[in-house]
Amino acid sequence: MAQTSSRGISRRGFLKLAGAAGAAAAVGGGVTGPRPAQAAGGIKPGFQSKYSVCDMCFNKCSLIARVQDGVIQKLDPNPKFLKSRGMLCARGNAGVEQVYGADRLKYPLLRVGERGEGKFKRISWDQALDLMAAKFKQIGDQYTRCGFMFMAGSDMQSTFVHRFAEVYGSYNTLSHESMCLIAGTRAFLDTFGEVPIPDMLYTKYVVMAGANRFESLVTPDSMDLMTAMKNGAKLVVLDPRYTKTAAKADEWFAIKPRTDMAFMLAIAHVLISENLYDKKFVAEKTYGIEQLAKHVKPYTPQWAAEQCDIPAKDIERIARELAAAAPAAMVYPGRRSSNYTDSTQIRRSYAIVNALLGNWDRPGGLTAARVVGLGGGIPFEAPFYEKNPEDRIDAGKATLMFPEEGSFKLARDAVLEGKPYPVKGFFVYHTNPMQTAANRSKTVAMLNSMEFVVTMDIHMSDTAWMADLVLPSQTYLERQDPCSAQQGSSACACVVMRDPVVAPLYESKPVFWVMQQVAQRLGMGKYFDFTIEQFREKQLAGLAGGMDALKRDGVYYNPSKLYGVYEGKIYKTKSHKIELFNSRYAEMGLEPMPVYTPPKPGGFARMRMVVGRNAVITQSSSQNNALLAKFQPTNHLWIHPDRAQELDIKDGDWVWVKSKAGKQRIKAKVTHETRPDTVYMATGFGVLSPGLQNIYGKGACIAQVLNDDFDSITGNMAMHETWVRVGKEAA
Amino acid sequence: MLKRLIAVLLVLGFIGAGLSLALASGGTGNSRKGKYLYRKNCRVCHVENGKAKELSPISMTQAQWKTTFDARDKVPCKAEWAKMSDKDLGDIYAYLWGHAKDSPSPAKCK
Repeated sequence: MAQTSSRGISRRGFLKLAGAAGAAAAVGGGVTGPRPAQAAGGIKPGFQSKYSVCDMCFNKCSLIARVQDGVIQKLDPNPKFLKSRGMLCARGNAGVEQVYGADRLKYPLLRVGERGEGKFKRISWDQALDLMAAKFKQIGDQYTRCGFMFMAGSDMQSTFVHRFAEVYGSYNTLSHESMCLIAGTRAFLDTFGEVPIPDMLYTKYVVMAGANRFESLVTPDSMDLMTAMKNGAKLVVLDPRYTKTAAKADEWFAIKPRTDMAFMLAIAHVLISENLYDKKFVAEKTYGIEQLAKHVKPYTPQWAAEQCDIPAKDIERIARELAAAAPAAMVYPGRRSSNYTDSTQIRRSYAIVNALLGNWDRPGGLTAARVVGLGGGIPFEAPFYEKNPEDRIDAGKATLMFPEEGSFKLARDAVLEGKPYPVKGFFVYHTNPMQTAANRSKTVAMLNSMEFVVTMDIHMSDTAWMADLVLPSQTYLERQDPCSAQQGSSACACVVMRDPVVAPLYESKPVFWVMQQVAQRLGMGKYFDFTIEQFREKQLAGLAGGMDALKRDGVYYNPSKLYGVYEGKIYKTKSHKIELFNSRYAEMGLEPMPVYTPPKPGGFARMRMVVGRNAVITQSSSQNNALLAKFQPTNHLWIHPDRAQELDIKDGDWVWVKSKAGKQRIKAKVTHETRPDTVYMATGFGVLSPGLQNIYGKGACIAQVLNDDFDSITGNMAMHETWVRVGKEAA
Repeated sequence: MLKRLIAVLLVLGFIGAGLSLALASGGTGNSRKGKYLYRKNCRVCHVENGKAKELSPISMTQAQWKTTFDARDKVPCKAEWAKMSDKDLGDIYAYLWGHAKDSPSPAKCK
């Protein structure tokens, strides 16, 4: 955390601050706005400790809330929650501010001015729900049910939004995933037949490319990697930026962006040409070694060195070291892969190296998902709407798109084009595409093309700012949620759930209730004719003692096999083996093995912009948190000193950064922590909504500058295909 | 007469081969309609603690679904299958085959 250290605030100081804010809420002052007396359920006297599940990022760590007289004082980690190794991070500690933040949405708001003008009026929940029902009916009748699009974030109640969409009859459901990880998911699914969980704790050697696990936290990977390194594991990081992960690594190579595949193919070349791969494993469990051997022959370390800016001798050495440590060695699969137009194939090259190391299903390698046995809840039979179009609005535009996830990028283009059919309604829950989707101007244009946009959130996000109807959501600490299954490799698979820690503030409601109410108004009430308790009972039906464990420990575990899961079983691929050569790709006319294409030059004076995370904020859901904003009050454009000198830019100067998607104004951070050909800025600033008081007017919005290319196989947004020019702002 | 019989058999053979080919590639059915029809007609029994074995698309591989549909007169609930039209069965097949456990998009939930 560069910002943290430069401000001289330690993590301990941060935690004190988090605790102080909770206390401030209790006495009704400080940075926290609302008063607990406004809670609908009133105040319960006395001190209580209650389990909940963090929502400051997607990891869903179990926590214990310390509550005094109905007010949350502090959030502590749950020591029994193995997936986080009993940890709650700094962001998690700051979660108390999500509840007591001054910018909470308090009641339903209806737009009365122009879209984006920010003129809203307060309406009652009944008026809001009646309006929603009327619009769902009108748009459904006029444009078919697929004329309404749904987008729900990674949330334990998003299942009810999907349920509503399905019974309402729209296939057009989106998630954040097509802006994040679906290329990586596709690559590993199409190699191993499932998406692996890395066994970080027991690994001996990790090559990490395109991931920043010590800042962009994933549990248990982040903690386990640190422990593994203490136990002697080696970490090699490839990243154009000197991230905190790079800083902690044994070796860091400032790889040229978009050349990771060249590195991986050269590793495969060495493993095969020097007979270092796991021959028994490859012979028994994989398909296509002969084709792969032929394929990687030209991809020598000497060739890759020129592509990647990594010396050939290092590539050779890393390949040999990986092989020596195998099978407790890995190329870390990573998470976000919304980078390039061939990101699926890039991640396939990671998967192939793992297969050659024979690390699948073995200690310290890549493990299969463990079965915890949580049920799907209360089943339903959605009606079929004969008038609906054949498929999703974004169908057929990416070769192997996941039909349940879709592609935000391709759906947005289709909405803007109005083809193959019009989409005129949009329901957005717990996600903020205005900040997370590349090319914000296009998102604005899409929202402007809609007849009715509803956003449900805890604060006035930029997407809410553009909506017709804004609904106040309960925060995670006020909600009762269904159970959720979690995967954690050696930390075991587990189940967590949420019950309210405190009574909800203001008129905030859960999305389950909203979907239930609107469904009733549309004559679809029978699909939501249950309570969360009943839903959970059904989910837990196969897990004896599940609810008791959740109430007692805040988490439920059952024993399951971690290694050797696939012994005697088929791999869920077309050949039923691990596919070095993907036979389905070959049939579909796709490259069955990753073929490298060198990055095209960006043109005169252009630099590539890359996306990344720090450990303080996760997307836009936490950036307006008053506690976290103290650590990351704004963002800067990272630029290498050589380029800065050429452009007469000094540290702290105002600069403009411009791509074909848009232009932003931002202060420069002149630093060696990025390559001369690469610039970086943190996500989530330059907001349009003044309702985000802690960050409004600060920094620049990366979504405004990022180009919206896409991975041709999955439709995953390809954000790093962005070339920018940077200039010093005229005085 | 014999020639005519052979011709008929040949034609039937071609039709059969055509059907097999269609099944091999998931057929031409509507997978979304198939999901609806599967839930309506099949899941009634093929559910946890139901009358028949619990099933979902990921219960079988694409090849196994094909085998099942190729030999539709051998399924235990063939009487129920017989009540459905070829088009409905084709839609159900498209759903089950298209989201089988070794398919590109295995079904997520049951």
